[in-house]
Amino acid sequence: MDEFSGRAAIVGLGYSKLERRSPRPLANFAREAAAAAIADAGLTVDDIDGLGTIPNIAAYGNTGDLEGIDIVTVPNMAQMLGRERGIRWHVQTPGLCPDTIMTAAAAVASGACTYALVWRAVNVPKGRYSDFSRARAYGDDQFRAPYGFTMPAAWQSVALRKYMHDHGSTREDMAAFVVQNRENTQLNPKAYWHGTPLTAQDYLDAPMLADPFCLYDCDIPVDGCVAVVLADAERARSLRNPPAYITGHAQTTWPTRGGFTDSEHMWEGGAAMGEKLWASAGLGPDDIDAAMLYDGFSIFLYVWLEALGFVGRGEAASYIASGATALDGELPLNTSGCSLGEGRLHGMAQIAEAVLQVTGRAGARQVEGVAHTIATVGAGTLASGGLIFSREPRA
Amino acid sequence: MSAGDASVSKPVPVPDEITAPFWEAANRGVLAIQHCGACERYIHPPAAICPHCQATDMRFREVSGRARVYTHTIVRDNVTQGFAPDEPYVIGIIELVEQERLVLVANVVGVKPEDVSVGMPLRVTFERLNDEIALPQFTPDGGD
Repeated sequence: MDEFSGRAAIVGLGYSKLERRSPRPLANFAREAAAAAIADAGLTVDDIDGLGTIPNIAAYGNTGDLEGIDIVTVPNMAQMLGRERGIRWHVQTPGLCPDTIMTAAAAVASGACTYALVWRAVNVPKGRYSDFSRARAYGDDQFRAPYGFTMPAAWQSVALRKYMHDHGSTREDMAAFVVQNRENTQLNPKAYWHGTPLTAQDYLDAPMLADPFCLYDCDIPVDGCVAVVLADAERARSLRNPPAYITGHAQTTWPTRGGFTDSEHMWEGGAAMGEKLWASAGLGPDDIDAAMLYDGFSIFLYVWLEALGFVGRGEAASYIASGATALDGELPLNTSGCSLGEGRLHGMAQIAEAVLQVTGRAGARQVEGVAHTIATVGAGTLASGGLIFSREPRA
Repeated sequence: MSAGDASVSKPVPVPDEITAPFWEAANRGVLAIQHCGACERYIHPPAAICPHCQATDMRFREVSGRARVYTHTIVRDNVTQGFAPDEPYVIGIIELVEQERLVLVANVVGVKPEDVSVGMPLRVTFERLNDEIALPQFTPDGGD
């Protein structure tokens, strides 16, 4: 295990409402989540002296980035909290939330700030949000946009077809995870799909976006925000919630080489990240009691289960179908419904549920006796990250 | 204008300092792929420095244009300008015969979408967009 393991913790967690195409500006969602997270930690706004976020619009193509509507930056949050003079440390990291959470964890552990608030606010951009509407294609886009390879569902569809071809899987096999995930979602009142069950037949009958990728292989875009409060391990112990100690961490710079063309990069990058993650915590797959693996698209679940070594290559779909990843199985998986069921929060759904499960606060879907949880975000390549949370500061 | 308006053109590639030789060759009806003089591997998309061995001796070399379908998707619901009239259309991840996992993106044309399969042999063809750009595309190779 590395020297950082167990030195910082998530001590508070807050959600905004999750809506779709809400008339309320995104800033309102961010403020709602921030206030909830600070209150959950048993702190007040004046305790917060660190801020971190990912000020990216969750879209590809040609959409806007209007402050307070499409993004909520650090200066905006500082102003909404009335803390312009009190913030000693802040960061804005493009990409995905593990980068930001790791950086904030390092800040509280080092003393650069005392209590850091990290949030991710995402919206459903106006119109179709993967509409590549530029007339010219630069960079990697020059080798894909002219061919109409312009939507994330298509990028992941080629990976799913290769997976199904290489391992002899059918769409019936692919339904198992999506249906199980939606069952978990029914125990999560915050989730967008709470109250809307899904059967295997619903999955098989769903509209094809990019064959073999259907509507339910994609997460559900929402307007919403999740915020967390971090503190060093010593302060964490004195607060009202059990701390979710960060005992393992990993980031990756694994290149995609031309975007999502060769899906092998996802498995290779995920495995390389996994080696770092397990080493940092001094733990392995058998130590994990509940796993929240990124499911922005269904195919990513198979990447993470296999790349992290929970199962062998090509075994993820049959492992899920066996019931092993159900709430009462040996590896409860995405117990809140995460991206597919709760909403597209770009990884914060995974972080939040990993925190709730390890601190015994997951309500009706609580897994018994949880000592360690894992959250991964991304697809194994660029900007992907993973965190291990533990009930005790040292694994 | 509505999505899929046939009068709207598709995105056009903009060659840059690294990729220009690829597009210059394509404009002459030649598929040329970047090749590292040090480790002798092909690289696509082109890179300033070899991602395999970090060498800077990067050239472009004409390849056979023979390939196979590595994987593919049939797009049925895209809103990117200019593509809706083509739906359903096939995007192939095309593996060139010169090197394992040397892949590029192209449409698989001249075949019904549902008849495309992983492993299908292909050969390059070119679709002219304007005076400067011809897109490499791939079509089933009968084998000659």
